[in-house]
Amino acid sequence: MTALVPGTNYYGRIAHLLAISLFLFVLPRHSVGADSGPQVQLDVSKAGPRAVESMTERGVFRDYRFAWTSLTEALESNSLAPLNGPFVGTAKAWSTRAVAKQRQNGLSSRYISQNHKLEAVFYAPEGDVMELHDTAEYQLQLLDGSKVIHDENVVIHYVVLMTPAADRWVVRQLQAVQGF
Amino acid sequence: MLWLISSAWANRRLCGKISPCLIAIACPAVVCLAQVEGLRPPASVVAGTETSISTTGSGKATFYLAGPSTSTKHEVSLGEDIRLPPADVQSAGRYVAVICSQTCQSAAFYVTAAKPSALSFLVHPSRVPVGHSDAVSGVALPFDQFRNLVVEPVTIDFQLTAGAAALMSRPMRTRDGVGWFRASSGKSAGALEVAASLNHLSAHRVVRQVASDPCNLRIKGQRTAKGLVVETEPVHDCAGNPVPDGTIVTFTATEANGKSTVDAPIKQGIARAQIAASGPTVISVASGVVMGNELRVEAQP
Amino acid sequence: MKHILPIVIVAVTAILMALALAGAAGPAKTFGIVSGSALPGFTPKASTPEQAVANLLIDVQRRNWDRAYSGLAKTDNRADPTSFKRDWTGTDGSLRTFSNLEAYDARPLHATADEAQMRLELRWTTPVGPIQEVRDVQVRREGDAWRVAWPQIQFPSVPAQVIPVNYLRWDLVSGGADDEWGSRSIDAPHVRIISMNAVDSADGSIVMGEVVNEDTIPAFVNVNATLVDGSGNAIDDESSFDKIAHVLLPKQVSPYRIDFPNVALNKVKNVRMDVKASLVPASADPVIGAMDQKMETDPQGRNVLRGQLLNQSGQTVNISHVIASFYDNSGKVVWVSDGYVDRALLPQAAEPFAVEIPRALSGKVQNFHVVVNQFSLGKS
Repeated sequence: MTALVPGTNYYGRIAHLLAISLFLFVLPRHSVGADSGPQVQLDVSKAGPRAVESMTERGVFRDYRFAWTSLTEALESNSLAPLNGPFVGTAKAWSTRAVAKQRQNGLSSRYISQNHKLEAVFYAPEGDVMELHDTAEYQLQLLDGSKVIHDENVVIHYVVLMTPAADRWVVRQLQAVQGF
Repeated sequence: MLWLISSAWANRRLCGKISPCLIAIACPAVVCLAQVEGLRPPASVVAGTETSISTTGSGKATFYLAGPSTSTKHEVSLGEDIRLPPADVQSAGRYVAVICSQTCQSAAFYVTAAKPSALSFLVHPSRVPVGHSDAVSGVALPFDQFRNLVVEPVTIDFQLTAGAAALMSRPMRTRDGVGWFRASSGKSAGALEVAASLNHLSAHRVVRQVASDPCNLRIKGQRTAKGLVVETEPVHDCAGNPVPDGTIVTFTATEANGKSTVDAPIKQGIARAQIAASGPTVISVASGVVMGNELRVEAQP
Repeated sequence: MKHILPIVIVAVTAILMALALAGAAGPAKTFGIVSGSALPGFTPKASTPEQAVANLLIDVQRRNWDRAYSGLAKTDNRADPTSFKRDWTGTDGSLRTFSNLEAYDARPLHATADEAQMRLELRWTTPVGPIQEVRDVQVRREGDAWRVAWPQIQFPSVPAQVIPVNYLRWDLVSGGADDEWGSRSIDAPHVRIISMNAVDSADGSIVMGEVVNEDTIPAFVNVNATLVDGSGNAIDDESSFDKIAHVLLPKQVSPYRIDFPNVALNKVKNVRMDVKASLVPASADPVIGAMDQKMETDPQGRNVLRGQLLNQSGQTVNISHVIASFYDNSGKVVWVSDGYVDRALLPQAAEPFAVEIPRALSGKVQNFHVVVNQFSLGKS
């Protein structure tokens, strides 16, 4: 029985295939330039009646940014899992329903190049709720399957309620308003 | 062909970016598909109110509605109003309506909160020592029936009542959907009722006012066959409120050859402990960081 | 050829077994794994006091009570078999009932031709870590064999009685999952650290102090500390683990101690303290008094705080944990020690306790305070 000896071309082909696979793997998923995640700026100087502690400020910044990253991922991939940690109450109910409806109708949405200017306007005396105003600018795309049906650069004003949970701040209300 | 051109010209102000007018002109010999010419959303909508979006044009198209908690898609006829049922516009926020046939047109509108129908009321703390200033605080947020925050200013009345005595009544105008207050606790231990009301709506909470630290902690003792029985006089705070049962009082008995300690809980206002001590003994008492008197007991005869 | 491997395996096994048995009679003064025969009938004859003690402890380790008892000296006040076994195994769900004798060290204190006094340092493995016990035993020669004398042990006898329990108890009722926001929140208990002292030791840095429950409800408390260097970076963070009375009743004070092994205090610029308190159901019963506390030097030359724990309630306390704080003349906490009592506290009965203080600190100690933690099986 003679063994099959691969010719020199065989390894060359394997190398080519590997190179192509690697290239496709690192290629960005969107045709638009790769998004590095939401940019957030937080100003707590006007919060009251309680002053925002520096650790709280860091936590709110981190967790709000994470909430938008999760929301973006959930609405783009129509997956509910990212919504479990950063959202509670009404915010979670609304975003869950939006994702479910999108999935049902074969739709999705993208929030690209997000920039959030966040201002704390109320911090409860006992620190159990914080209200923030978010002037958010981003590129909003709505998709039906893979077809973009709406593409718009928007500036939206959000009223945000955040409350402390066991190990993080969570978004309880994320409500767009016409102006502050 | 001429009719097509003239109707396109007449409707030119309603053309979108990729003008259906051009499409109309460009396909004279072809039966053109639906032409999306205009989408007119309402100026603003109150949450949970049926509304409609008017369209112009002709033919069939696909209508999409994306909102904070909704994402719908269905076929519509252009030129007719698209009805948005109350269920589709319950959540306050920004909505985008898109209508597509060959091209897509979109328009945005806002849904605002309806009138308040519930109050979320956060009160702290759940237990408060008596006679502390600014010890009790509350935050009230009005929501409509769909859990939309009512950001329009409304007046919320806050009231604090201890038994029959009204400690505070204060109307506060909400700002950005939030009203809050701060108040001192009363002088007597017991339940403090805290209420927030807005028109016919109200929310109630109870804060337990508890005695402050023990004051004038005094002990008495006597010898028994087994040693010493020491007990406190009824333990009160400085305002005369009895310190709650279960509060720990530490008795320490110091003799020449050693020391004995007992952490005894207050029972029916008094803490009691038995200590095995036969020689001359000095007994002291403490509760938390408050010290009481000392007692000297002679040796067992 | 194919039979060679099994033959070799059998031969090597036999050689190893022989070596193990031959090495059974090791020196009596051993610290570490008890050496001894694994098979009955191979215990060497107790021709010396050390061997008599070794034989006894090997049988105790193997829980071979009949054999251990049969090797005891026949004295007038010899313990009965039940008491002898009970002395070693413990009862009433005490810490001893969950323990195993891991190793021992026996050394003679004095010896004559017919009598010897041996000091046993016994090392027990327990669910809460190793516990050392020191016992002095008499060993006598009877005929050509030495035997350990084991006198009758007096166990507390609790007379039958009815003791009313009417101390306060706190139960925790959780809210429902769909409770409206803000409608059912109960604040965590207010707990405060009232003192903190960071010291260096041979093993590393130690942070200790006291914490008080300022609230009117019980609290489950944990104290954590983070050591921070000059650049503001955290070097290490640790918890008080079991060197604190975790369940604090209202106005109760507990010492705490947090060990940072292998961290020198001169590297530490700051200590960040964090106390976590959560709601917990609890009972104000049992009340345990720490009586006759005094600082002494024990037979091994260690400085200890000794005393008696008196159970003033009607229930058995299975495992008691003593935590003592020691103060200097300015009232600063200079040391925190803890120790477990391996016998159960029967109702209205007392058991001794002792906790060690480092010799270098004993001169500084002006005062001390003992807190007793307790675990009762089957109770929350």
